Amino acid sequence: MSPGPSRGRRYVMLLLLLCGFGIILFRLATLQVLQAAELTARADRQHQKTVSFEGARGVVSDRHGKVLAMNVEVPSVFGVPASLESPSAAARTLSPVLNIRSAELERKLQQDKSFVWLARKVEPEQGRRLEHLSMDGIGVVMEGRRFYPKGPLLAHVLGFSGMDGQGLEGLERRYDSHLRGEKRVTVLQRDALGRTVFPKGLAEQIPTPGHALTLTVDEVIQYIAEKELEEAVTHSRARSGTIIVMEPRSGAILALAVSPRFDPNVVAALTPDRWRNRALTDTYEPGSTMKIVVAAAALEEKVLTPDSLIFGENGRMAIANTIIHDHEKLGWMTFSEVIQKSSNIGTAKVGMALGEQRLYRYLQAFGFGQRTEVDLPGEVSGLLKAPKDWGRRSLASISIGQEVGVTPLQMVSAVATLANGGVMMKPYVVSEVRDEKGRLLKEVLPQVKRRVVSPNTAKTMTTILEGVVTNGTGAKGAIPGFRVAGKTGTAQKIDPQTGAYSSTQFVGSFVGYVPAEAPRLAMIVIVDEPQGEAWGGTVAAPVFRRVGEQVLNYLGVPTEDTVKIALAMKDP
Amino acid sequence: MKLLTVVAGVMLVFVFVWERVDVVRLGYHIERLKVQKVLLERERDQLQVKVSALTAPERIAKVATEKFGLVPPLQGQVLMVHEPREVPGIPLLPAEQVRLAQHVSTGRTEQ
Repeated sequence: MSPGPSRGRRYVMLLLLLCGFGIILFRLATLQVLQAAELTARADRQHQKTVSFEGARGVVSDRHGKVLAMNVEVPSVFGVPASLESPSAAARTLSPVLNIRSAELERKLQQDKSFVWLARKVEPEQGRRLEHLSMDGIGVVMEGRRFYPKGPLLAHVLGFSGMDGQGLEGLERRYDSHLRGEKRVTVLQRDALGRTVFPKGLAEQIPTPGHALTLTVDEVIQYIAEKELEEAVTHSRARSGTIIVMEPRSGAILALAVSPRFDPNVVAALTPDRWRNRALTDTYEPGSTMKIVVAAAALEEKVLTPDSLIFGENGRMAIANTIIHDHEKLGWMTFSEVIQKSSNIGTAKVGMALGEQRLYRYLQAFGFGQRTEVDLPGEVSGLLKAPKDWGRRSLASISIGQEVGVTPLQMVSAVATLANGGVMMKPYVVSEVRDEKGRLLKEVLPQVKRRVVSPNTAKTMTTILEGVVTNGTGAKGAIPGFRVAGKTGTAQKIDPQTGAYSSTQFVGSFVGYVPAEAPRLAMIVIVDEPQGEAWGGTVAAPVFRRVGEQVLNYLGVPTEDTVKIALAMKDP
Repeated sequence: MKLLTVVAGVMLVFVFVWERVDVVRLGYHIERLKVQKVLLERERDQLQVKVSALTAPERIAKVATEKFGLVPPLQGQVLMVHEPREVPGIPLLPAEQVRLAQHVSTGRTEQ
């Protein structure tokens, strides 16, 4: 038997092996236990990518499905300063592509940050040019950008959204919770080449787009209203203007035009004054259009009849140490003539016959001094003082549309109430909300607010208001072939310098409905501070006629002659 | 019997490996299709914006008047001789057929 290795050598070998295993164990423990968290995080960074997805903002379309607002993906450009060899050289290359000054880009690229935005939501062509440049440390990602393809059309109603997709104004703000897409953060796996590997269940993780809104507005009617308003405001050199077209039977708003217009695609340089929806946010003293409410209240309360006689005091009447004037010397008139000739004195007498409490009750019933609750943001309630705060002249003043502040929407809603047989409807703009698959989530049906006057009173008022157009101050609002019921208004504005009524600043308006016998449209036209002739019957009534004529043609509403011909052919 | 078991075992391993490889291959394929889908959706949206902009009433009116020399009809030039055209969505229904939301009247006289 040959002698084996000595015991000493065996121990040395054993010791070496133990040391070797010990080192391995120590390294294992270091990697797996002591540095586990840090190394796991590092590994995750290398083969995982955290991505934040936000679904596209919902589409907004008119009542016939014509798209008014939608999202389109466009490139946004970012930089990774740590990966750049020369920030100044990169800035010089990027400057002509992004149309941003080189110094500004260089300042951003020299920041001690791992990520900086260089330009967000640029044009697709700029993104393509950058991809061709293929610069290290400069990247392009796609982001949703809101587009309003019709430009300024309906801009005051639509509003606009911000850079991060949040609704800031108009419907974009009011319906932001519906329009916003779902936001979701997910982790994607990457292979050794950096390509994204399809993870399990990603299909379920894609965020859903926002809900789609269908409006009551018709883009053609809206266009007609905006075109005619722009022409009127430009022609009269007015400060601003408003038109609202409403369907009296439902309260659906068919058009809401405000001048001056703005393009919601380019709002960065504009002030809130430009995008404010004056139809809801601004109040004005309505002047003679308020006589409609006084007359309806007097008829409903049977204070008088259309044939009751009222003396016009020859155009001048003293009340509470002040004088109320008429625009002409009027003597005895019927109540109908008081409205048709827009007599301040006659209407003030009617108001006084009604009394403070009854007049106040009807003003409230017609919706003044309270929001209409239309589904648009920024609506104000107007100004209507309680009778306890009225002065000695207030009853007469309010009867002729002074000492009271109303919004254009309140006034057209009040008149639409008469067009609807005395029943007030709640105005609304959004008729449907649908999810991304087109399923109906919410349908807005016409909503009755209250009955304000009886059908008989509404019918009598229609006859009186027809007389305003056929024999009175609203002759220029007449639409050939249709019976029009309406009322003119010319209100003096308060001069902020003196606090008194201005003799040069007016608001001219016309409010009415057509066809009077079966109203399809209720409309208000307001021209604020027209230069030169400022009578409502001169500056606003012709606009009512032009808009009404085109819209009735568009809707295919037959003229009186057409109906007569059709009846004659049917029954020869 | 032993040989059969070994062959079956090898086959199972082969099927397992093939299935894993195919899953990865399909994963890449799905990823490519997803990218394609996104690009097509982007193109569709851009075309939709273009269609909406081109069909804007303001643009059509401008083209009609400036390019084709058309003018709006004057008073009395429009005469409807047939049944009146109803624009979808704005029918004038008889009052009793109008659907209404729940009544929330607070007025003095209820309808």
